[in-house]
Amino acid sequence: MSENVMLEIRNYSKSYAEGKKAADNVSLSVMSGDIYGFIGHNGAGKSTTIRAVVGVLDFTEGEIFIDGHSVKTEPMECKKITAYIPDNPDLYENLTGIQYLNFVADVFSISASEREERIRKYADLFEITDALGDLIGSYSHGMKQKVAIISALIHSPKLLVLDEPFVGLDPKATFTLKEIMHEMCKQGTAIFFSTHVLDVAEKLCNKVAIIKHGRIVSSGTMEELTEGHSLEETFLEADNE
Amino acid sequence: MNKNSILLLKTLLLSTSQRNIFKYSTDKKKKKRIVWGYIGTTILYAMLVAFGILICVGYGTYGFIEAAPVMCALVISLLAFLFTFFKTNGYLFNFKEYDMLMSLPFSSSTVAACKFLYMYLKSLPWYLSISLSMMIGYGIYAHPNFLIYPLWIILAFFLPVIPMLIAAFLGFLVARISAGFRKTNIIQTVLTMLIVILGFSLRFIIEGVFKNNKVEETLKKASDFTENASGIYFPARWFSDSVTKGNVLSALLLVATSALIFALVFFIVGRSYRNINSALKSHAASKNYKMSGQKQRSVRQAIVFKEFKRMTGSTTYMTNAGVGPILAVLIGIVTLVAGFGRIVGLVVHDVNFDIGMLQPAIPFVIYFFIGMLATTACSPSLEGKNYWILQSLPVEKKTIYQGKMLFNMYLTVPAMALSTLCMCISAKVPVTDMVLYLVLGFALCCFSTAWGCVCGIKHMRLDWENEVEVIKQGSAVTIYLLPNMLVVMGLVVLVVFLGTRLDHKLLALIFILIAGLLAGLSYRWVMSMCRTGD
Repeated sequence: MSENVMLEIRNYSKSYAEGKKAADNVSLSVMSGDIYGFIGHNGAGKSTTIRAVVGVLDFTEGEIFIDGHSVKTEPMECKKITAYIPDNPDLYENLTGIQYLNFVADVFSISASEREERIRKYADLFEITDALGDLIGSYSHGMKQKVAIISALIHSPKLLVLDEPFVGLDPKATFTLKEIMHEMCKQGTAIFFSTHVLDVAEKLCNKVAIIKHGRIVSSGTMEELTEGHSLEETFLEADNE
Repeated sequence: MNKNSILLLKTLLLSTSQRNIFKYSTDKKKKKRIVWGYIGTTILYAMLVAFGILICVGYGTYGFIEAAPVMCALVISLLAFLFTFFKTNGYLFNFKEYDMLMSLPFSSSTVAACKFLYMYLKSLPWYLSISLSMMIGYGIYAHPNFLIYPLWIILAFFLPVIPMLIAAFLGFLVARISAGFRKTNIIQTVLTMLIVILGFSLRFIIEGVFKNNKVEETLKKASDFTENASGIYFPARWFSDSVTKGNVLSALLLVATSALIFALVFFIVGRSYRNINSALKSHAASKNYKMSGQKQRSVRQAIVFKEFKRMTGSTTYMTNAGVGPILAVLIGIVTLVAGFGRIVGLVVHDVNFDIGMLQPAIPFVIYFFIGMLATTACSPSLEGKNYWILQSLPVEKKTIYQGKMLFNMYLTVPAMALSTLCMCISAKVPVTDMVLYLVLGFALCCFSTAWGCVCGIKHMRLDWENEVEVIKQGSAVTIYLLPNMLVVMGLVVLVVFLGTRLDHKLLALIFILIAGLLAGLSYRWVMSMCRTGD
């Protein structure tokens, strides 16, 4: 494995007890500095793959490596350098925003000064600083999403995995998140995210994979994949095949 | 425990701390509810303390005070086992913040162990209130050495650990087996029910063993059963030996065994924790639905159906709500098969009396099981984040709660009727009395349903993290459950006593009137809360 491969999924398959395959022989690589889009229909297998990558979901077939560490055999090494933002963040509703962020910062042993600086920076960017003292239960979906994003950025991960990160965010926060993703990518962070918003994927990603019924039907750099067409056209074409 | 385990445990506790909500919430209604919750909980603690002291008074008065520590250990162990077993599914597995926690750098065994310790710490005050009150009672009658008190206090923290670990491990096995099946939820519920029923039957199995060993004469003494049970359940013996004989070795054995079992259980659980949760939390959509003729239901029946699906969709809810009716039916059938006299004989050993005098207690004994948990006590809170669905529908609140109450009636009345019929036939109750007992059972079901709904609405809590919080330990359920059970136990004794002086039919009629009146008042209360939007 080359040095800058941050995420490598090799022949990953996931079957349910019902016998159906949610992911079938999925393979892809995300390099440092990549913004890798993962697109597909509802139920195509995006979240199942993402949950396996971040060590939440067990799998029997295939291998997943993060910065050379196996998710199966070295889960702690992988988790220490990864951040995950789920599509519907289930945070502790009875903690305040700042209590939750401090919890995550403590888990990653972030010093008091560093965490203060990062929380202030991102909370200001997402315009949520004033609300950090309120209980998360009183937040809107978008505000919870913002807290989840800040908690993911607090430890400067090497791999950022996001599941539908733009759902529920207001236009300004969407723009801010895209800017942050660009900035992180420049600093060498690998970003792997799923989305339904093809316009965003087209503008943001340098690589894309299209998943259909658990199988990768198309993947590569944006240019290779679209060949001069729009991503929407490419996606619909792949979907009709 | 490493730094991260302590951090996780602290956060788990903080995330459900009422004090934290009170401190940071701006909702005055919520704050008021928290204060009332604290008052209610204090009353319940006082009741438990009284229960503990009264047990010792009983033992002390009749000269069996030396059996009090064993009794204390057994009561706490039994409660700890049952409460943990019912909660394991929702706390250790299938909890909603699983994805968030498991994506953080915590090992599987750390998450599982912290979840267990959270359960332990949350229930510890209940066990301590029984244990420490019994220590006071024991102190009054036994006048032990002063050193016994600190020893008792220290061991009180360890007493619930082993039964909780056994319950958690059984819950893990149930989840492990269920994870391999398609209908995970159903398999899990059935296995959980089987273990609970086995747990309830254990007492009779143990007694059967003693009887076969010709030691039944020894059971005549009140303290001998607990003594024998402690011979089987060693931690109770160790506790008793420590606090009665000052045996430090026994105390060390209890502490060391608890720690050893803890390490062992979470080593095993940790190994397949992710695998089990993956199986429990991910299911493939069958995608084979064919649009066919749809049925139209009335609004109330639609709510009943929704309640039914809510219950069957959750193992925790189904086991807690279903265990009472199932036990009632089983006891009814067992009584019918084995004979009323034989079952009574198992409970009151070799005491000679006319078992006919127990007939008036039949509806209350059945109600003890049926009324264990009214779904109406937790279903308003269980709406949780989905509460908006009901709120936004063009349906009056009273119709919603009528639907919820109707569902509880559908769940309890058939079980009550079947169990009453079985018991009455077995006890050779005259037909008129049997009809009256059925009516009384129905009135009690109405009361349980409506009173449960009062508690459910008054103490509705929608911001729960885990449904166990409202099914097993919510204020609504606690306020409904504990007084209800204690009053019923008292009523069983009262009704048997009154039955020796009054005609059984008259007695049944009196209680039908009382239960009917209480049910009516509770129902009116529910309706009035619906009008005022409480």
